[in-house]
Amino acid sequence: MSTQQMKGPVNAAMMAGMAALVIGGGLALVNLMSSGHAAFNTGSSGITWGLPVVGYVFFVLTSTGLTFVASLAMVFGIKEFYPIAKRCIWLALVTLVAGFTCLALELGHPFRMLWAIPTSFQYLSPLNWMGLFYAAYMVLLLLKFQKVNGGDWDSSGSRTLGIASFVSVVIAHGTLGGVFGAMAMRPMWYGPIIPLYFLLTAAVSGAAFAVLITYLTYGNESFMPAKVKNLMKGAMPKVFAAVLGIVILAVVSRTMIGLWSNADGLQVWDHVVASPWYWIELILMVAAFFMLLNGGSPFFPSIMVIISLFIGRYEFLISGQAVPLFKGTWVTGLIDYMPSVTEWMIVLLAVGIVLAGWAFGEKSLNLAAEPAEK
Amino acid sequence: MARWGMVIDLDKCTGCQACSTACQMENNRLPGENYQDVLYYTEGKQPTPVLKWFPRPCMHCEEPSCMHVCPTKATFKTEDGVVLIDWNKCIGCKYCMIACPYGVRFYTDEKPLVEPNIKDVYPGEGDLSWNPPYKGPQQDNAHGVGIQPHGVVSKCTFCYHKISKAPKGIADLSNDDAANREFVPACVRTCAPTARYFGDLDNPKSNVSRLISDKRGVRLLDHTGNKPQVYYLSGGAGPAVPSGRGGANKA
Amino acid sequence: MNILKNILEFKISRRRFLQASGTIGAAGAAGFGGSKLDGFTTLSKAHAAAESPSSGTVVTKSICAQCPARCGIDVYTTNGRVHAIYGNNDHPIANGKLCPKGHLGTYMLYDADRFKGPMKRTNPNKGRNEDPKFVPIPWDEAFKMVADRLNVLRDKGESHRFGLFFGRGWGASDVGVNIVPFGKLYGSPNAPIGHSSICSDGSVLAKQCTDGNASYSSYDYAHANCLFIFGANYLEAFRPYNNNMQQWGYMRGVKTPKTRIIAVDVHMNQMLSASDRAMIIKPGTDGALALAVAHVILTEGLWEKSFVGNFKDGMNHFKTGEKLEESSFNEKWVKGLIQWWNTELKDRTPKWAESVTTLPADLITTAAREFGSTRPAIALFERGAHTHSNGVLNGMAIHSLNALVGSLFAEGGLAYQMGPAYGQAPAKDDDFMDDYAKNGPHTKMPRIDLKGHEDGYLMAKNMIQEVGRNHLAGKPYKLDTALFYMTNPVFSTANAAKEWEEAVKSMFVIDTSPFPSEIAMMADLILPDNTYLERYQDAPTYPFQGFPLAQLRVPAVKPVYDTRTFADVLIQIGSRIKGPTGDYFKKLESAENIVRHLAKGFADNPGDNGVKDFDSWKAKGCWFKKPYHWRQVRGEFFEWDGNGWNKPMKPEEVKEKLLKTDSGKFEFVSSYMEHKKDWILKATGRSAEKYNMPHWEEPKYTGGGDLHFVTPKTAMHAEGRTANIPHAIALFQPAAGGNKQAVAEVHPSVASAKGFKNGDRIRIKSSVGEIIAIARVTELARPDTIVLPFEHGHWAWGRWAKGRGSHVDEILVQQSDRISGMQNFYTGKVTVERA
Repeated sequence: MSTQQMKGPVNAAMMAGMAALVIGGGLALVNLMSSGHAAFNTGSSGITWGLPVVGYVFFVLTSTGLTFVASLAMVFGIKEFYPIAKRCIWLALVTLVAGFTCLALELGHPFRMLWAIPTSFQYLSPLNWMGLFYAAYMVLLLLKFQKVNGGDWDSSGSRTLGIASFVSVVIAHGTLGGVFGAMAMRPMWYGPIIPLYFLLTAAVSGAAFAVLITYLTYGNESFMPAKVKNLMKGAMPKVFAAVLGIVILAVVSRTMIGLWSNADGLQVWDHVVASPWYWIELILMVAAFFMLLNGGSPFFPSIMVIISLFIGRYEFLISGQAVPLFKGTWVTGLIDYMPSVTEWMIVLLAVGIVLAGWAFGEKSLNLAAEPAEK
Repeated sequence: MARWGMVIDLDKCTGCQACSTACQMENNRLPGENYQDVLYYTEGKQPTPVLKWFPRPCMHCEEPSCMHVCPTKATFKTEDGVVLIDWNKCIGCKYCMIACPYGVRFYTDEKPLVEPNIKDVYPGEGDLSWNPPYKGPQQDNAHGVGIQPHGVVSKCTFCYHKISKAPKGIADLSNDDAANREFVPACVRTCAPTARYFGDLDNPKSNVSRLISDKRGVRLLDHTGNKPQVYYLSGGAGPAVPSGRGGANKA
Repeated sequence: MNILKNILEFKISRRRFLQASGTIGAAGAAGFGGSKLDGFTTLSKAHAAAESPSSGTVVTKSICAQCPARCGIDVYTTNGRVHAIYGNNDHPIANGKLCPKGHLGTYMLYDADRFKGPMKRTNPNKGRNEDPKFVPIPWDEAFKMVADRLNVLRDKGESHRFGLFFGRGWGASDVGVNIVPFGKLYGSPNAPIGHSSICSDGSVLAKQCTDGNASYSSYDYAHANCLFIFGANYLEAFRPYNNNMQQWGYMRGVKTPKTRIIAVDVHMNQMLSASDRAMIIKPGTDGALALAVAHVILTEGLWEKSFVGNFKDGMNHFKTGEKLEESSFNEKWVKGLIQWWNTELKDRTPKWAESVTTLPADLITTAAREFGSTRPAIALFERGAHTHSNGVLNGMAIHSLNALVGSLFAEGGLAYQMGPAYGQAPAKDDDFMDDYAKNGPHTKMPRIDLKGHEDGYLMAKNMIQEVGRNHLAGKPYKLDTALFYMTNPVFSTANAAKEWEEAVKSMFVIDTSPFPSEIAMMADLILPDNTYLERYQDAPTYPFQGFPLAQLRVPAVKPVYDTRTFADVLIQIGSRIKGPTGDYFKKLESAENIVRHLAKGFADNPGDNGVKDFDSWKAKGCWFKKPYHWRQVRGEFFEWDGNGWNKPMKPEEVKEKLLKTDSGKFEFVSSYMEHKKDWILKATGRSAEKYNMPHWEEPKYTGGGDLHFVTPKTAMHAEGRTANIPHAIALFQPAAGGNKQAVAEVHPSVASAKGFKNGDRIRIKSSVGEIIAIARVTELARPDTIVLPFEHGHWAWGRWAKGRGSHVDEILVQQSDRISGMQNFYTGKVTVERA
């Protein structure tokens, strides 16, 4: 595989990524330095976890999913996925960093976390286990990438790292789902299935990003190596469609039960389905599903699904907090929320990290490498 | 060791918010940072609308969901039953605010409710996020007492700086008890109709235990399982719904 | 959770010894002691570094200033900084408790916008958008400026053109021995002009006309079994608010039997919600309701026979619509009952009242029966009922209910207030009247507010609200100089923007407020007062429970800025007036000197709490002697003899001390009004037949709109001073969620008819102006009424007050009750539209 086969807009992505990094990061930092988190539109009587947390969830979800895709090859031995596995691992690392960046800029004391959690670990907190396993996952995946980058795909050490990464991210993302699923006082989020729901949507996101990044690397199918092309027209859309289909069912199921139930806290569903964004989310997913089944290029479906998932994560997070808890007349109706400029800049920063990170990897780390033919 | 709890008699409460302002000034809160809040609700239609209200302090739950989710154990429960926040360990993740069913927690770094921002009018010194000229002398970051530093969550402490000095073994803290008046939480001390009581829930002979028994005190949002240590009396005869679902009650 | 916790905690306790306590050092962990790594902590380590508030803390007794109630307070000062205010437990009004406003006093002391010293204006132009360009001047120069100006006026024989306007005056040291003699000795009928006509004079006159007492009432709530509350928000604003709430807790939570409460107001609020019977009435029609209640009491034989009297044959002859012979009834302590019945009351049925008030007739009947059959019962009212053109009539009708159920001066009823046993002032003002003061041209001049004048308000106590328009018109004349103490009529009077605000532009204005109020922005000279926590001041009680009570303000801190107590400032100015006037004030010396003299009176009359001199007064904060000296028991009056109400009173004594009317009885047909009959008939157009008895008169609504516009006070409204306190703003109007500004409560039918939603900006218009408000669409409001609390809408007053909310008095038409002079605040009618 030679680099001249990559006709995709890698350089453009690098430029865009750097620009997003500088603008997003610069503006966000300036605002945060001058007014602290008052630069956000979050509030104690409003939405507590706003767009930056949405960004965090979205990007680590993506990272999780990309590891799933890579694991199809590395853990489950499905050889068709090897051609894109290294790229997926690298992007998983990059999106993880992007997600953590969102979170770090959201916390009141991000550096304190580094000593306070280890020395005063609350065993009962789902957030801690999520953090612990994501940290472990990052280390393991980095080590795996190092191995793979050195050409070692299937020594026992490399295999173990691969499996360990997969297992740790499943637990990590499952507990991230648990962060929300354990909240008995918020029926919009409460439920033991939420961790599974998160894992499913992670898988869909991973598939979508894997497709997107492959097409962005090669430009279009005519420049793809045969194996990659076959994957993009064969196994990938099938896997993608399968998981997407389940996710669509999950979304519909949540919606129907949310609309049906009169339990306090679920009234926000009326508001959710009244919003055009919900329907955009649903229609994009359903259309993508059918496009994948029809066997066309999975490129556009991947974009549609990414947009849809971002809307979905935003909606999940924000509408879960939209019903005020014991605010009386101080908050009439549902809580209104519009992210501030600073919050959007943080997301822009994260996007910049992803674009620039991927572009860097693409240019310098030979992400198209795959194990030698046996 | 006492297990401090509060009883609020809704038959007597007039919704005046003196408890809220007493707390604001005793604990140097920001405007709108209502550690103690009086929440109003309107239902019905003219000419017979319904207006309801109740005072809402922190519930200092027996099973505080805020404590269970705090990654650094910054939120902790003392041996005398008070849920506090250690500002030295809080990382400002705000999970506790998500997890509290009663909306009693406040993050300090947000847009002010009332402009201009009082923090700009009285800027803080050192670690403290602001510094009002009428600041009280108490400051205890390890227990979330006083003016908070940047980037942390804060909430009602049951006026821990006062109650922690009360004589050991005392059954109730009340404004009527001249010798121990200075240990009474601000909201309880100032309540003009005497709608608030504070005492040891683990002492079955305390006034709070008696009130809960005489008037069938109830707790709010029992279905969440948090088990508040703040009981409400709604006066009058009649049945009341038990908080547990058969077999779940613990001594 | 339990199993989970047990498993995990087992691990924790195994690990406890591993956790080091000293590892948490990084982020400024001052005060961190011990290990808190397992969710529990030991108390002893817990407050290792917590500062002790009890060391170096001084508690000073003082009086809250946020309303007229005069609750005694304990002011906590540590290292010279005031940081907490709680109620004084030894004070009979406060009893250790406070209302929401009391605690905010620390804020006022340190208000970021306070004036820091005396200043004079250098920008000759006055207006809302004009910067006064104040420059600091020394106090002596300021005193000289004022005194010179006043002396010049006096020399020219124009001393009447000096006006001294005051609002919340407290007692002898600022008003009785100071302001009042100032006017008398200097020689101006306009010094002082009080604010009572924008306060609650309607009830004062209603009582004066019926039972001869020109005063608010004292109440014995603790023994009352039924309260019928008309337009007085007992749980939000009625004074003494703090004590009302204490009584509430007692009446509703402790007392047996539980006191029944019937409450009447124009929207659903805390008072009506907490009552047993809520009556949401059309504004201005409380009198009709009271008349119907009286009608039911009489027709159903519920009146208190021992006090009122009875038919000679013992049968009840009161039947709807039927006239009676006056001689058929033996009146005991009332006069004119049958005449009143014949002329007015016989047709005032609940059904009729329903057509006027919109309250259902059966509700009126039930309430009347409840009130009439429960003893003791009190009917109380205040501004909601009487700030209308028919206000005094409404008030008389309501107060008549007290006579009908015999609660006047009874246990569980209402009475009046005794004054404190003050000592002599340092000087007697009569001894210092020079010839000018006795005979100068001012003695023939009417007051600028036309109080007591045929062309103005003959029977009013004050008419402060019309000074603006009178000055502008030059009728009776124009003022030259005006001094303001504790009042801001440029903000708080009707049609303020076009009347008072305009008028002060052509006066030399001296303002004494510590805060940059609207009046201050129009002032030529600022002589800033100390706040209440920085001064000595006496304050005899506002009518409370009748027994004499006088409380004392003691400075908790030295003045934070270069400000001076108003009483001292006026003394300094007075000392510089030519002639014996100056000598009087030199003898007064200072506020502190005055209160020391007042305290001498306690030597012969030590208080129940042992207060007998200045030092003990300072230490306890109040002097009082229980009980109220008079009591009516089942139609007989008794005076306190030292042990009990044992000394029977003769009718002449009752007339002299209690029912101070011509007849010595409660008069349904008022002799007080009869003395002014010609003027009343001419001024009000009422009929000769009814004018001096409680009767129904349709109120003259002002403003020309289709919705009633009512602007009540909320619990957080400290006579306006909380407009610049962000904590008060954030809690201002809880029932409607007004936490950034007062919001307008509007019924959903109005919102949908005019096309706006909850939270929208709306324009409220009347014939004299328009304001923008935020709409709160709610069922609390009647469909025909908008309620927008009075507080915000300032264009000065400080950084939090300025530009916030809606100035309701800008759209209020200048109209006052012809008898009482009471400004008709709640009688406007407006239109509303989306802004």
